[in-house]
Amino acid sequence: MTKTLLNAAAFLLVLGALLVLPRYMDSPYALHMMILLFLSISQGQSWNILGGYTGQHSVGHAAYFGVGAYTTMMLMQARGVAPWIGVWAGVAAVVVVALVIGSICFRLRGPYFVLASIAVAEIMRLSAINLTGLTNGAEGILVTDLPAFKIGGRVITDFMTKVPFYYIGLALALLTLAVTWGIERSKLGYYFQAIREDQDAAHSLGIHIALYKNIGLVISAVLTALAGSFYGIYVGFVDPPTVLGLDLSVQIMLICIIGGMGTLYGPVLGSLVLVPLSEALRSNMVTDLLVKSGLVSADSKVGIFLKENLAHAHVLLYGILVVLVILFMPEGLMGFLKGLTSRRRKEAV
Amino acid sequence: MAVFMQSLISGILIGGVYALIGIGLTLIFGVMRVINFGHGDILMVGMYLTYILFTFAHIDPFVSVLISFPLMFLFGGFLQKVFINRVLNAVAQNQILLTIGLGLIMSNTVMLIFTSDYKIITTSYSSSTIQVGGGVSVSWPLLVSFLITAAITAALYWFLLKTDTGQAIRATAQDRDAAQLMGINVKRMSIIAFGLGSALAGTAGALISPTYYIFPQVGSVFTLKAFVITVLGGMGSVVGATLGGVLIGITESMSAAYISSGWKDVVVFVLFLLVLLLKPSGLMGKSRT
Repeated sequence: MTKTLLNAAAFLLVLGALLVLPRYMDSPYALHMMILLFLSISQGQSWNILGGYTGQHSVGHAAYFGVGAYTTMMLMQARGVAPWIGVWAGVAAVVVVALVIGSICFRLRGPYFVLASIAVAEIMRLSAINLTGLTNGAEGILVTDLPAFKIGGRVITDFMTKVPFYYIGLALALLTLAVTWGIERSKLGYYFQAIREDQDAAHSLGIHIALYKNIGLVISAVLTALAGSFYGIYVGFVDPPTVLGLDLSVQIMLICIIGGMGTLYGPVLGSLVLVPLSEALRSNMVTDLLVKSGLVSADSKVGIFLKENLAHAHVLLYGILVVLVILFMPEGLMGFLKGLTSRRRKEAV
Repeated sequence: MAVFMQSLISGILIGGVYALIGIGLTLIFGVMRVINFGHGDILMVGMYLTYILFTFAHIDPFVSVLISFPLMFLFGGFLQKVFINRVLNAVAQNQILLTIGLGLIMSNTVMLIFTSDYKIITTSYSSSTIQVGGGVSVSWPLLVSFLITAAITAALYWFLLKTDTGQAIRATAQDRDAAQLMGINVKRMSIIAFGLGSALAGTAGALISPTYYIFPQVGSVFTLKAFVITVLGGMGSVVGATLGGVLIGITESMSAAYISSGWKDVVVFVLFLLVLLLKPSGLMGKSRT
């Protein structure tokens, strides 16, 4: 009882801090980092519902992210539909796509499901490239000027700073956390986990496998599509490789693998590790640090090489991390931490 | 008719290389039950190896196969012994993720060294063709690479069917535990199988390098193709992968000729999904329980 209270108090404390943070932190770069963090948490948590809890390891989540992003952006560019309306069109489109994909892919298990999910996402990506009339093909869609958001004639925000995006991102991350929290405590969550642990046993207990897999998929896909729409609006640009590519699917999955699949805070932990690390590489922070510490001189060959290339290599870090995590802590950071605390408890006894 | 014959012939020729990629993947899957998501990246390493040998030592891409085959074999054996071996008994998604991670490391390390610029190997014969008659022409480098793949495939069949090691590999693929009880060193067979699979992928990379752009991310295209080929042929079946490779080659060049080159990969993936749904055991696969 005290533990739940403590948890709730800690959560509220963090939430309160996050709510007032933009008042005290006006650096656009810091806000940008927080927005990326929220986006990553939303992506990871959405995947977690299907991959972590239901045990269906989709490597094609870019399909839902991309459909959400593209629908919102296409409506905004071609028809001038405001993004907060376009988002719901994106959600509707994704529900249809998810149900079609589900009816195809859920007939397959294990590695075959993984392969089918990749194939479907690749079909979406190639279609986005080829349907130039609809999607502007490989060039992508660029929409930078957002209409001001008004309620009853009063302008709430005109999206000129990063602050509104910060709150939308925060709300999105909270939404995905809340949905997962709710699922974890409901019958639905038990059905999901039963399917994950042993599909045949779950089936013989009378759980409608196909139905609950599809429910898991639709929830996961809708949340991913929301994240995709948010990404599109925030960045102002979508193109096939960035929102529909295989790399994105892998990155979404990695957030959970590194943090810990099937746990509420796994994707949060994973994002807290991945976002700052890849951002540090991308912005040459690591090279600057090495230069400042005197390990590498800025004018030396190594220094110049690092400066020019390390920024492109943040995916290399993903690769190294995933190999290390699989080999040394297959349960992710959450599992690793749990192992540490339980060992300490054992030692105390 | 000329268009049809033309696409059929180029389909078969490129299909030979695809078969090589597919056989490598299916061999690894057969012996270890691991789906190698880094297969295309191994092929990419083979392409860069060929590029290095060509640019710095002036060795012809087709001759360089003699060097890259053993080197890629060692590379694959190393990957198996150091990484894959540790997850042989792990759950499927961890195996998949590990190979994805290894693939990312390969492609991004190559990108760090060579940047992501497109590289081309220009040989005197890169764009030369032979007229066969009836308006049909055959690309010279494709024809040579097809002949080499045919020779390698034949040698591989002989190795798997006739030699002791080959039989031990097939026994391991059939039943790992039983093979171990019969005194077969399954660990060594796994290393050999992964080495062979990598050598085949690397060789395929060497063979297509005169006709393809070489860049660090080229692998993912071939990883996906390799899956389509092996699933089509039946996971673990070497004959199936050979057939599957040629079939995919023909499908691609036919849909490029009759639909559009932009949609040819979509056709391949749709075909893939249909096979997964209708006959998941593939053309040559045994039905699984």
